[in-house]
Amino acid sequence: MSRAADPSRAGPWLWLGPALLVLGAIYLWPLLDAVRLAFTDATLLRAPTRVSLDAFAAVLSDPALPGILRVTGIFTAASVILLQALGLGIALLVHRGDRRGLPGMAALRALVLAAWVVPGIANGVIWQIVFSEAPFGGLNAVLAVVGLGPVAWLSDPALAMLSAIIANIWQGTAFSMILYYAALKGLDPALQEAAKVDGASALDRFALVTLPQLKGTILAGSVLVTIQTLGTFDSILALTGGGPGQATEVLSLYTYNTVFRGFDLSRGAVLALLLAALSLAAAALYALILRERR
Amino acid sequence: MTIRHSLRLTALSAALTAGLTAPSWAQEDMVTRSRVGPADAPNSMSFRLTAFDLYAQDPKTRATFEALYLDMLKQFPGWKIDTQLQTNDIGQEQARMLEQARAGRGPDCAMIDSSSLGAYRAAGVLQPMNASFSKAEIDDLFPFVRKAVTDDQGNLLAYWWFTDLRVLYRDTRVVPEAPQTWAQAQAAGLASAKAGYEGLLFSGGRWEGTALDWLGNFWASGGDLVDAEGAPVFGLGENRAAFITALSYYADLVTSGASPARVASITNYDDFLAAAAAGSTAMFVGGSWQYEQLRGTLAPEDFAAWEVSELPGPSADAGATGAGGWTIGAMSDDPEKVKLCAAIAKLYAGPGNVAQGLLPTATAYYKASDVFSTPTNLAYSKFLEHGRPRPGVAIYPEIANQIEIAIGAVLSGGDPAEATDRAQQAAQSAYERL
Amino acid sequence: MTGRWGDIATYAALALVALFFLGPLAWLVSLALRTPAEVYQGAAAFIPAHPTGANFVQILSDAAFGQYLWNGVKLSVGGASVATLCAAPAAWAFARLDFAGRAGLLWAILAVQMISPLVILIPLYRYFDALGLLDSHAAVIAVYGAIGIPLTVWLLSAAFARIPRELEEAARLDGHSRLETLVLITLPLAAPALAAAFVLNVVMNWGQFLVPFVLLGSEKSWPISVAIYRFAGSTSASTTQLLAAACLIALLPAIAVFLALQKLLTRALTGGALKG
Repeated sequence: MSRAADPSRAGPWLWLGPALLVLGAIYLWPLLDAVRLAFTDATLLRAPTRVSLDAFAAVLSDPALPGILRVTGIFTAASVILLQALGLGIALLVHRGDRRGLPGMAALRALVLAAWVVPGIANGVIWQIVFSEAPFGGLNAVLAVVGLGPVAWLSDPALAMLSAIIANIWQGTAFSMILYYAALKGLDPALQEAAKVDGASALDRFALVTLPQLKGTILAGSVLVTIQTLGTFDSILALTGGGPGQATEVLSLYTYNTVFRGFDLSRGAVLALLLAALSLAAAALYALILRERR
Repeated sequence: MTIRHSLRLTALSAALTAGLTAPSWAQEDMVTRSRVGPADAPNSMSFRLTAFDLYAQDPKTRATFEALYLDMLKQFPGWKIDTQLQTNDIGQEQARMLEQARAGRGPDCAMIDSSSLGAYRAAGVLQPMNASFSKAEIDDLFPFVRKAVTDDQGNLLAYWWFTDLRVLYRDTRVVPEAPQTWAQAQAAGLASAKAGYEGLLFSGGRWEGTALDWLGNFWASGGDLVDAEGAPVFGLGENRAAFITALSYYADLVTSGASPARVASITNYDDFLAAAAAGSTAMFVGGSWQYEQLRGTLAPEDFAAWEVSELPGPSADAGATGAGGWTIGAMSDDPEKVKLCAAIAKLYAGPGNVAQGLLPTATAYYKASDVFSTPTNLAYSKFLEHGRPRPGVAIYPEIANQIEIAIGAVLSGGDPAEATDRAQQAAQSAYERL
Repeated sequence: MTGRWGDIATYAALALVALFFLGPLAWLVSLALRTPAEVYQGAAAFIPAHPTGANFVQILSDAAFGQYLWNGVKLSVGGASVATLCAAPAAWAFARLDFAGRAGLLWAILAVQMISPLVILIPLYRYFDALGLLDSHAAVIAVYGAIGIPLTVWLLSAAFARIPRELEEAARLDGHSRLETLVLITLPLAAPALAAAFVLNVVMNWGQFLVPFVLLGSEKSWPISVAIYRFAGSTSASTTQLLAAACLIALLPAIAVFLALQKLLTRALTGGALKG
């Protein structure tokens, strides 16, 4: 083959072409169109008639928005913290089990991973069955056996939020767990040994040796999990529909309701952009922290 | 032959042939998951339907409708119907279909939920079906139905083929007398709770059923959702008082203990059937069609104890109930397709309703079949005098959304007046943007 | 905390974890095996007295269900193919070629991942409509592909970077062109990562709901993730046991594939790219 025919001579663009083309057509173009729609008065019922900032004004003056953002904030923050903590905890336990050669560790890892691949809609349906408050319903029926409950899992606003978070962690923990598990495997055991020789307690070794080495993973995991959580809505849609009232109506579900129930395309576009902005802000924050560290 | 006889005969023969020849159709492949009629027919019409009849889980219902469809198609040689199912997520499905129809890619003919009809009318996607329905047939429709499906020029924009209403179900062994007022309903709920039951169950979660089931209480209190222009006014003036009163009724049911707190999480009519079957409740607000489902779910001796009555009102003489149901509308401008679409509508309105026991929307059908003269159905047709449809305006789905939010708020201790004002404000701003 | 006591504590903690993750699935299995009457008995019937396969039979005998499953496979595999085929050359360029704006472009591609499909779906709907691609699996496959590309680029560029440059340079010295080197040396070495990225995409696509729900109008083209919605809340009398069976059938394929290839996938996901 002659050098002239070598495609890499044409620079990187031939290699990047397919990916950029698909992303441009499926993401960039519609994204620009969403931005355009945000500056119109388009609804699902008719085409846009004029250019305006009304949709932005409507979103900003929407009395429901603060509540939606609060719910989104609580859901996201609690999910991220719990997902990360639980993921790290399980990874540490499994890692310890591995080192000690305890049986059953692979099975446990597999179990956690199984929840991860459950489709979001099915996740909502499953937990709706579990949290059913009918006297013969799932978890409450089990609690009743030991004399507890009944717990208002889905009808009490605060508990409904907790239930939505639990459903989310059930599905999402696997991702954090794999990240930490791999990171733990990659750690230099010599450092641990050195600390042991120095007489550091197990807790000290974790706080002073293990944790600092995991910093990068924690940051990367946090941003990915934050973005995933912000976009979560199919499981909540199936679990509570956003209720009771608006107790579990996160921004992505609110956007979906605005477009598909309120038919308000332009306001939906503004909300969708707000969602994208929040995700980008989380990512930017991450990039900033990463740069500081270097 | 009178209409009455022909209807009964059609239903009977459909049921019979269904039983006898269902397997042979399967071989001939005349009804598949996506088509009715011969695969090689030169003309085809697309039809979007729900999964409750032709594609029902119940084999008997399915066979009956297969027979009815094939029988009807004999009048349209050379035609087949390309069928498209819609999910039970009615609100989203209807919005999506509307978006498709507006883009000119909707089905030629479709089942449209009566609460979404207003949006379809506003978008101007419906083709009149006057050619297939006589003026007498249109005039015979219940007034609230006729108003919803005809425009100012008298065009029939869709055919509302059955209606339903919300009623109070009760186990007469626990609640012997039908409560007629809110106070009586609350007392009966409390009494049943004392007897170890859950109390009065109703929909209170985030879904359309919650709004529709509750609306009877609002209407009975003298409220109106929209004004003559179709603008939301439910939270203004006298309507506001009615809205607050009706919200307070639900809130009081829960705070008094007459209803369990879990009603705020009920987003499915199945929950009532399950509770009735489990013997955990003695009272619930359900849909008229659930009577037949209850028969299928309960043991005969238990079923015999259950009765339906009109929804309680603020006083014994003030009652109202939300009437729902489905319409069939044509969205193709091909007159042949509109005709076929109308024929499908007639299929459902006539023998289809007989087979399923659904409530027809015109008096002639009630006279035409014995199926509709059971005590329960006669009671229903009387309750329907107080029946009210949801307003056929494009803003209705958002109003319903706000009602669900308001009910959720007051069920968890929110202030009814505040919830009312928030709902009105949100609906008004959505209306201005639509 | 060493030795036996530590092991016991580890097991105790992991038992709680297992209970949390296994509980809902076990409850689902229990419901799916019950008769309608047993559904109302709550926890008392956790192990049904008369376990029945009737619910599974009813779901699986519905011809449409097979269609949903097949559609799910087709869309997931198609989307994964698009993502892998597009991402692999791009990932190689990011790992091996030096060009202006390389870092910025890589970040830009990753930033795409921050955009929820919700943002682009309505414009996409109109877009595909104009192209006459609505209700076609091709459109959904393209969107799945686009959704998968960023993560795939990320995973694969890390995998390519891990392949020693010396191997490629040796092949170049032997007179092979860059393309030949890629095909003969690099791709075989990256095969496990490619396979893992592909399977990971398949599994992710399996759970997609919104994209097929909005873009696929007719029921016969739905994947299982959308169809499961049909079983949630059908009007026939209490169907919890059927819903449970349908749910199990919907998630078993994904779980089976995932568990079978667990090692491969875990390695790909954690191949160093995510360590920051």
